[in-house]
Amino acid sequence: MKNINAVLFLLTILVFTSCKSSKNSQNGLLYWSSNNTDEITYARFIVEKWNKENPGKEVKFQPVPEGQSSEEVILAAVVGGTTPDVYSNMWQGDVEYYARAGKLVALDTLDGFIEFLADRCDSAVIKEVTSRDGHIYQIPWKINPIMMIYNVNFLKEIGMAKPPRTYSEFLSMARTIKEKYQENGRTKKWAGYAEVQVTWWQRWFDYYPLYLSASGGAKLVEGDTAVFDNKYSVATFSFLQKLFTNNYFPTDRLSSGQDPFLSGTIATRFTGPWEIIHAEKFKPSGFTYGFAPIPVPDDHTGQQYTYGDTKNLVIFKTCGNPQLAWYFLREFCKLENEVEFLKMTNQLPRRKDLMTDKLFAKYFKKNPMMIPFALQAPYVIGPDNSPVLKEVFDVISAEYEQCVIYNKKSPESAVKDAAHSANLVLMQ
Amino acid sequence: MQKKKLTPYLLIAPYILHFAMFVAFPVVFSLVLVFHRWNIISPMEFVGLGNFYRLMGDTFFWQSVINTLYFIIIHVPLQLIIAISFALLLNQPLRMLGFFRAVYFLPVVVSGVVVTILWQQLFGFENGILNRLLTLISLPRVGWLTNPDMAMPSITIMATWKNVGLYVILFLTGLQTVPEQLYEAADLEGANAWQKFVHITLPMINPTIFMVLVLSTIGGFSLFIEPYVMTGGGPLNRTLSSVLYIYKQGFFFYHMGYAATMGVTLTGIILALVVLQKKYVERNT
Amino acid sequence: MRIQKMSPARKVISYALLLIGTAAFLYPFLWMVMASLAPEKEIASFTLFPSNFGMSSYLQVFEKIPVLHSFFNSMVVSLSVTFFVVVFSSMTGFALTHYEFKGREVVFYIIIFTMSLPFQLTLIPQYILMVKFGWVDTYLALTVPYFINGLGIIIFRQYFKTIPRDLFDAARIDGCNDMKILFKILLPNAKPAVITVAILTFMGVWNDVLWPIIVIRNENLMTLPQLITLFAVGGKAESQLGVKLASAVMLALPVVIAYSVFQKYFITSMASSGLKE
Repeated sequence: MKNINAVLFLLTILVFTSCKSSKNSQNGLLYWSSNNTDEITYARFIVEKWNKENPGKEVKFQPVPEGQSSEEVILAAVVGGTTPDVYSNMWQGDVEYYARAGKLVALDTLDGFIEFLADRCDSAVIKEVTSRDGHIYQIPWKINPIMMIYNVNFLKEIGMAKPPRTYSEFLSMARTIKEKYQENGRTKKWAGYAEVQVTWWQRWFDYYPLYLSASGGAKLVEGDTAVFDNKYSVATFSFLQKLFTNNYFPTDRLSSGQDPFLSGTIATRFTGPWEIIHAEKFKPSGFTYGFAPIPVPDDHTGQQYTYGDTKNLVIFKTCGNPQLAWYFLREFCKLENEVEFLKMTNQLPRRKDLMTDKLFAKYFKKNPMMIPFALQAPYVIGPDNSPVLKEVFDVISAEYEQCVIYNKKSPESAVKDAAHSANLVLMQ
Repeated sequence: MQKKKLTPYLLIAPYILHFAMFVAFPVVFSLVLVFHRWNIISPMEFVGLGNFYRLMGDTFFWQSVINTLYFIIIHVPLQLIIAISFALLLNQPLRMLGFFRAVYFLPVVVSGVVVTILWQQLFGFENGILNRLLTLISLPRVGWLTNPDMAMPSITIMATWKNVGLYVILFLTGLQTVPEQLYEAADLEGANAWQKFVHITLPMINPTIFMVLVLSTIGGFSLFIEPYVMTGGGPLNRTLSSVLYIYKQGFFFYHMGYAATMGVTLTGIILALVVLQKKYVERNT
Repeated sequence: MRIQKMSPARKVISYALLLIGTAAFLYPFLWMVMASLAPEKEIASFTLFPSNFGMSSYLQVFEKIPVLHSFFNSMVVSLSVTFFVVVFSSMTGFALTHYEFKGREVVFYIIIFTMSLPFQLTLIPQYILMVKFGWVDTYLALTVPYFINGLGIIIFRQYFKTIPRDLFDAARIDGCNDMKILFKILLPNAKPAVITVAILTFMGVWNDVLWPIIVIRNENLMTLPQLITLFAVGGKAESQLGVKLASAVMLALPVVIAYSVFQKYFITSMASSGLKE
């Protein structure tokens, strides 16, 4: 490899070198937030507060550069060596990849981190965020549990007082809706809607939460082996397949412009708490909605888990002063600040005192819609620790399309093939 | 005198430098990459023929090659028939020829992104104009981009619409080189229009036909923006193009070695196809 | 065939077919422009004349993405590349036609060889080069790799061959140095070649999307086609048709204006690029 580097080096000298100003001094920090408007508000708040209280240790803040998805932008920044010191909003499924490439600071080597984490999270969460090498590279920061939103009046109209809980209940509701709202042989309303796109992360809103619910929080990947070839995956696939092949869910994208849920075209949707802000802004008058756990197989017992869309805090290796960065993150996660965060963004901090602390209680009293999410919060699962998790989701998504959307494969063989392809990816 | 000898070298120096850096080095480096696994952020790792083994078994890659061949097979005849027809129409003593030519050429100069966004609306299932036309003449609606069997043909139709203006011009140029005496001689022998077309016109525009073949082949293997914007490669990966798949493996998953392997393999396929086409066309001339 | 008189029937049919073609190529563009001006609800119809026109779709595009900034980026990138391509390609073409030197043939074959290489081969290593140079997210990545192209050299070489040597010799006797001869005498006499190379280069760079998507991730540095592609693919348009179409119109407009003014040059240049074989 030396040779190539030498050639590259020579070439670099041959060309006029582009002058990139080296960014951060020892005293300051560069922090990137996500570019979600509410999160920017919080970032601004916390940075201002920190800078006032810590003169001489200034934090500069910037939303992650606008572009493709934030995951892509971060990856490009890592590749290009232009990472910030601190980043919030790192998808938990990406951490193992960067950790293994040596791009993240092992936080457990910093003063006071272990105690902090034990204080914040219970042991299951700590286990979940511990990397395969035994180090911890992330602070579990926030979650958006995926649940089922439902249109209260819509369900009343078809004679349901409660949202469906099991697959059978959901399917029978779907059949009722389809039969009731037919016009000239065309379906006008649907039980729900799931994206038919194969983009890998779309499966966070259908297959993955359903799988976690059905299995009581099972993993997709264990070490370097795919472990999702089981009855839960098959049950999930066949449930979804029934929804699409019976036209209970539309296979075409619903016509643009209006939100299908708020316009009453669909009765339910699997989604996260961000839907509340959206619904409050755009709902027609008289529209009422509620949240319930997503459906489970009929024989399901025990605690119900779901996917949490976990986003975490990390410090990049390019940071000149990790200890300072860590102090900043500790401030970032202080109770009174996270209460502000919750107020500003409607996203849940991932901490165990969410339902016990007084300050949080006050918030939930004011925002009762958030309570189902908070109750679900202890039972969310973050993505497994695998450096190729994205690709695992990608192969699942490809089989999902074949089986669920186009009905070209049985759920059994689709799951089996997905596991087979995933194992090939994991072997790489 | 010394200075004069040096001048040409100074003149070509920028080219040589540019060539060394942006052509020669990448080509050589490609050949290094194919034997490695590398995501840029970790150290490079030698894997021997690992990437090629993976490629052999990668159904997505071969699907993308098949999709491309399918594109070429529809695109070439469509392009030829339409382009030659319009070129023949324009090769008559009529008025406003300049206007027609300019209009047909318009899609050629407009960015592919514009054309793609536009056609995405025309192809819409519920409200697209094409389906409204079909409903108007009481035909069933077509899932232009959502039906797995239709998606690639739809993209081909769009590509033809975008490019055909260029070929109209090229064929027109070709037609105008056909000596008038040949037609007059044929008239004397009592040949009909079709015979004249097959025996006189076609051979004369053969080089242009070859060019359509080659450019369609290269164009097919370069398809990117159309599926990227319209279908994301779906449904069922039927519009997954080779470049789109390289993009995904290279710039989404950062498998640089593997993406380079696909690049090298595709280069081989493209060059082989072009040589084949050349041989075939030459034999038939 | 051409001199013969055409029968009236044939004339009518020919015009009819040509007009159908015109409709097929022109109507979608007109519809796009009208739809971008129409209220959102009326877009899904054939009509070219909505009940009322409005700029709201355009205003929304301006609100959501930095269109003007990207337009500026595109201009900087396309113009600088065009400039350097004309300069460097003409220099090389000049050397190949007006000088005898060792390796001239080799250089010529290298150029032909380079032109026959599919871009898929060099895409990945070129990107890695950009990363190692630290050019990702800079103008350099968008421009420098395109500073010379083989087609430009071939076009200049072809044209320079037709310029009589006397001109060159006379200038030399007058004491002009070589650079002066090229830029003061040859290039002004090779306007068609310059225009062809300039149009081809400008259009190629202006319309390119793949390379910018790969090397530019920062919205402030994106070119116009890249920005609009990501806008169309991403969620920012919030699946509103009018907004998407308005962004497409804005992307098309500069090129269409240029085309309607320099139509002849566009057609001959682009047709000549096809004839390179």
